[in-house]
Amino acid sequence: MKLLNKALTAALLSACAVTQSVAHDEVPGKKQAQPIVLQNGTLHTVTKGVLSQTDLLFADGKIVAIGQDLAVPADAQAIDISGQHVYPGVIAMDTTLGLNEIEAVRATRDADEVGDVTPEVAGHIAFNADSEVIPTVRYNGVAYAQVVPEGGMVSGQSSLMQLDGWNWQDALVTAEEGVHINWPRTYVVDTWWERRSAEEQRKANAEALQKLKQVFADAKAYYDAKRAGRDIPEDQRWEAMMGLFDDSKRLYVHAQDKRQLEQAIEVSQSYGFDLVLVGAYDAWRIADKLAELQIPVVFGSPFGLPMREDDGYDQAFSTPARLAEAGVNFAIAYPGYWDVRNLPFAAGNAVAYGLDAQQALKAITLKPAEFMGVADKLGSLEEGKQASIVVSKGDLLDPMGQSLTHMFINGRAVSLESRHTELYNKYQQKPARSE
Amino acid sequence: MNAKHQLSALALAVTSVFATSVNADQTTRVNGMRDNTPSLVAIQNATITTEPGQSIVNATLVINNGKIVSVAKNGKVPAGAKVIDGTGYHIYPGFIDAYTDYGVEQAAQPDWSETPIYNNHREGGNAANDAIHAQQHWYTAFENTPDAAKKWIASGFTSVQTARLDGILQGYGTAVSLADKIANETIYQPTTRQFGSFDKGTSQQQYPTSLMGSIALVRQTLSDAQWYENAYGKEAYNGSVEFNAALDALKNIEQTGIVFKVEDEKSLLRADKVFDQFDVPAIYLASGYEYARLEQVKATDAELIVPVNFPAAPDVSGVDAYLDVDLAKLRHWERAPANPGMLANAGVDFALTLYGLDKADQFWPNVKKAMENGLTERQALAALTTIPAKIAGIEDKAGKLQQGYMADFVMAKGDLFKDGVIQSVWTQGQEIDLIPREQVDFAGEYTTDWSGNSLTLSVTAQPSFSGDVTLGDQSSKLRHLDSGIDQLSFVADLDVAGESGTWRFKLMQTAQNAAELVAVAPSGSEQRLALNYQATNKDEQAAEQAEPTFVSELTFPNVAYGQKGLPAREDVLIKNATVWTATDQGILENTDVLVRDGNFAAIGKNLSTPSGVREIDGTGMHLTPGIIDEHSHIAIDQGVNEGSEAVTSEVRIGDVINSDDIHIYRSLAGGTTMAQLLHGSANPIGGQAQVIKLRWGATGDVMKFDAAPASIKFALGENVKQSNWGDDMTIRYPQTRMGVETIIRDGFQAALEYQERKREYDRLSAAEKRKAAPPRPDYRLDALIEIMNSERFVHAHSYVASEILMLMQVAEDFGFTLDTFTHILEGYKVADEMAAHGASGSTFADWWAYKFEVYDAIPQNACLMHDRGVLTSINSDSEDLQRRLNTEAAKSVRYCGMEPHEALKMITINPAKQLKVDQYVGSIEKGKDADFVLWNHYPLSSYAQAQQTWINGRKFFDRELDKQRQAQVKQEKQALIQKVLAAGDAAKQGEQDAYKKEQPEWHCETQHDFWLDHFAAKSHSHGGH
Repeated sequence: MKLLNKALTAALLSACAVTQSVAHDEVPGKKQAQPIVLQNGTLHTVTKGVLSQTDLLFADGKIVAIGQDLAVPADAQAIDISGQHVYPGVIAMDTTLGLNEIEAVRATRDADEVGDVTPEVAGHIAFNADSEVIPTVRYNGVAYAQVVPEGGMVSGQSSLMQLDGWNWQDALVTAEEGVHINWPRTYVVDTWWERRSAEEQRKANAEALQKLKQVFADAKAYYDAKRAGRDIPEDQRWEAMMGLFDDSKRLYVHAQDKRQLEQAIEVSQSYGFDLVLVGAYDAWRIADKLAELQIPVVFGSPFGLPMREDDGYDQAFSTPARLAEAGVNFAIAYPGYWDVRNLPFAAGNAVAYGLDAQQALKAITLKPAEFMGVADKLGSLEEGKQASIVVSKGDLLDPMGQSLTHMFINGRAVSLESRHTELYNKYQQKPARSE
Repeated sequence: MNAKHQLSALALAVTSVFATSVNADQTTRVNGMRDNTPSLVAIQNATITTEPGQSIVNATLVINNGKIVSVAKNGKVPAGAKVIDGTGYHIYPGFIDAYTDYGVEQAAQPDWSETPIYNNHREGGNAANDAIHAQQHWYTAFENTPDAAKKWIASGFTSVQTARLDGILQGYGTAVSLADKIANETIYQPTTRQFGSFDKGTSQQQYPTSLMGSIALVRQTLSDAQWYENAYGKEAYNGSVEFNAALDALKNIEQTGIVFKVEDEKSLLRADKVFDQFDVPAIYLASGYEYARLEQVKATDAELIVPVNFPAAPDVSGVDAYLDVDLAKLRHWERAPANPGMLANAGVDFALTLYGLDKADQFWPNVKKAMENGLTERQALAALTTIPAKIAGIEDKAGKLQQGYMADFVMAKGDLFKDGVIQSVWTQGQEIDLIPREQVDFAGEYTTDWSGNSLTLSVTAQPSFSGDVTLGDQSSKLRHLDSGIDQLSFVADLDVAGESGTWRFKLMQTAQNAAELVAVAPSGSEQRLALNYQATNKDEQAAEQAEPTFVSELTFPNVAYGQKGLPAREDVLIKNATVWTATDQGILENTDVLVRDGNFAAIGKNLSTPSGVREIDGTGMHLTPGIIDEHSHIAIDQGVNEGSEAVTSEVRIGDVINSDDIHIYRSLAGGTTMAQLLHGSANPIGGQAQVIKLRWGATGDVMKFDAAPASIKFALGENVKQSNWGDDMTIRYPQTRMGVETIIRDGFQAALEYQERKREYDRLSAAEKRKAAPPRPDYRLDALIEIMNSERFVHAHSYVASEILMLMQVAEDFGFTLDTFTHILEGYKVADEMAAHGASGSTFADWWAYKFEVYDAIPQNACLMHDRGVLTSINSDSEDLQRRLNTEAAKSVRYCGMEPHEALKMITINPAKQLKVDQYVGSIEKGKDADFVLWNHYPLSSYAQAQQTWINGRKFFDRELDKQRQAQVKQEKQALIQKVLAAGDAAKQGEQDAYKKEQPEWHCETQHDFWLDHFAAKSHSHGGH
């Protein structure tokens, strides 16, 4: 008993220590009080090309005007950004930002609920707006993140968050915008950590797929019963999946292998789901089909290693270019949390391997906005859209260029400081040893 | 001969032998009546192969009392002998299997302990490691086991070498006859050779958990045995030298040698280096992959024992099944049956074994498959007789047919290496029938006239009896066929002379071309018919030697993107490039670089092109030094951590380089030319590191960069105190950062005392040395002494400021400089202290938040260390990042404004300095190794792509060539898939689990017991960094 108490105390103490350290010092930006004109920048509009020496005016959180030599309203603040580049805020898909703080510390992980089928859990609920990680990701131009539960087979629902808020309610853009599924394995492997024979693996794969199909069948039965007006007790799981059947929620399928992707399309089509494929390493193998069906793809391996020994070293690097060539509707994601800050560079890497630079930018701005149903307000620099804007001294997609001077989310000026800049500042002041 | 028939015949065989037990009453009293049946036998008119290449036709073999009396052409039959007519028979020496587990009880799987076991149970003066059973002599556990012997006898084997095949040093094998007699009579050679493997088997002790740990254990044990021979009976500094049964048993290992099982051709070469060091003659149980490095295998000069467990083809029949099958597997499926022939033709002596075959009855079909793929009859026979006889130490009594040898032989109907079948196997003069010699071969065609019509009866014996009968215009299949030794019965539906229905028949051969058929009509009346008989013609050319043809390539390594050979060294002049020198010269525009004899010969503008030098137009290109990675875990086989004991400075990454690793090629494609392969971070004092150049295609030894001084991995913090290893792993010292300091300190103190003892011993007079035991050479402590002597340099995995300060203090206390802190994510907090000590830092560009000790990591770390005068580099610790260190270096430009050329230095000259190889590599300077990369773009940019990567003037990566290779890989794979599909069911024959297992992507923290996992029993696995 004594031992147990000791262990409990230790656990609580360490939890406290962590809780203290996860609240960052950056103050969320204030509501836009006056119009702001960014003058004489190079605007990467995403929808209307690159406009050089152009001004951008935004007020009340929205973009009001884009043009050369815009008249500056009387109460406006004018910021000269000559030589700098303006982009829409980057939108990161497939992240656990705000859910995970320190990977190896269990107390700080909130992305993986127990159970194979947990569609009822939603990412925004556990989103820690004070995560120390978030400001470090903003620093590289990421203004929005899709926050995704990641456990089991049916993981839960994702929510779109803006990355500057006092709490999750403040940060929430769209709650429960889609249901996420880790598609059952279709392949077999021959490694020492897989003890099952190929036959056993195939059997297990088939059983898992059957289990998933049963989930859809059960959810559909619930949906049908509800729609027919039957008075049945609530099942939170199937309640959460109702939106799949009336197209108010997307179905995000996380899958890499060609056979998984094909199965997901087939099953999804039989229900008429609004399908988005996530990860999709093998998307290039079925690019024509994806283009023909216009199935959105969130390509998740922009820095990926080849998944198979025989794949070319640059297979993952060059996949976005191949998808573009085939006319696939795709976004680029860099799944994770702290490393999401590398998403702009990942898009840049796709450019090195053949993707058009404008398309690369679109793949981390407008495409995610479209896929999550917020393209009417986010994802490009257009009049009427929200003023979620990044200003960089150079090319956002290249570490040799990227250097943010401003970030606005809904017109609010967002801090670009972070735990990292603060520690950097602190230790620059450390006296040399002799002092 | 079908297998079913063979085995059932074998079951009967016991009753058909002479019950001769020549020595039965030598020491064993006979209760009841004595058996004195004569055993003199003469076999006449046979074709006898007395040894490979020596055959006598019309020969007579005389045996008596279990031994051969004579073998002679037309030899006389001694009076009173039992005479056997051997007409049509071939007789061969009995086959010998030099690698078996016959008759020795094998080790049982233990109940695996949840908590780790660091020290073993000590009994009988055993070794301190439970995988060492060197003191065992397995003849002591041997007993005659007739049921187990059957599978060997069925394939013609008469004797075997056997042992308990468990652990690393397994004890001494024994050579025994398969005769059904007591062990006293069947043990041919009680003690043959030590057996071994790198697999710790059923040992539950933690150490070793990795291949490099196993190698280190073998090395230390052999060294200990040499020491023990001299030290036992003398006084050590802390008392008399202990009795150690295992070391004692290894005294004569230089004479007995070892039979050692290896997992693949790489481990064969690894083992051979260790055994060479100690002059231990080694014979390897081969893996079947020797063809992949034939030249090196040949160069070991070792004999092999080669299984014929050729793999079943991977399943490629489904439309997408090819996605799960690597080209390397398909290649091995095609090439494996050629392995024995290729070895034989390279002049490697080897024995064949049944070992590794799931189905023993596949032995002969596979031997014949090997013969179709280049193995000759003579080579095959030698591999079954004279060579294994020598390996098993019984070449004076078995493996040949000559006077005085044991009467161990095989009688085959016909030529066994063509279409012959084994009829009987004789062990010590005892005949074991596989097929009764009187067995009539019914196959053929029988004809006569019956009731005014011509009758034709066709009988086939393979794969089982079948046939049909035609009578005039009637025809019927034979049913209910039942073969006896001299008669075949069956039924058929016929209408003969009004008797319509099912007739019953019995067929008997009466002369060479005549037979009699008894026919019983539906009514029950019986008739007898005389038949003419024509036996089925056998195709004598069945196993005709044909040059095998392959659709697969054989490359180095033999995987997709392997090389046909090492790229040629070229003299080239790169014209008009932007040259990033990584020297004080900075970045030179429009500059030419001349490469000759593998070195940079000149750097300048408008250089003239010497004759014989190829020009490369570098216009618009950037040329940088090859990238150097201070911290890599690619190209490591079977465990990156010897994650058992806290101090493992004796293990060597250099022992386990995995030259097959495709990440070598992928990293070249990202411009990386050199990497320090580090032990993982499981232990405060980890294993020895190895610097390699990424010479894709070469063996591990050729990849080693010998000019690099020795180095070693240390580790601090969460990993070594097992913070994230799970609840079972909490008993190893240390569990705190305090204990990390003290155990390192104790290690160095122990090394100092050890060094002093060695010095003291050296000062002793010859007379004193006769009484004093020399200090036991200890590879673990030797490495620590090298560190203190600044002959080996420490690269310490570290994160937080406190532990960085601690380790520098320990180093200073023991008089050396800590070379490089690796990871060092809080280096920025103690940069001045590091600079003052002289330690360098090699860090991640931007990693953080993956565990608590990296919560203060910042991407400005490299800048802060650099600014405070710390020699700083950026490393990968990742298969992924090792391909794109250029943009990792660029992050210091992004996050803290480092000057770009300084950033490039962090992945070239700075790591070269940290590895102390900067006089050879790391910059573009005259005289240095021509290791360089051509980029199509500003090399630190997102948009840069390596176009060519060169090492010592050899082009190891070329993007254009890679495109061709990608296309070739696809084509070759499809061609092999076609071959598998065309082979149909034949492709499915073979071993199901006979391919090399894919190696994981190792990380610092990958900590698991490879050998336990290997046994599919239990593992501890942790990912991360």
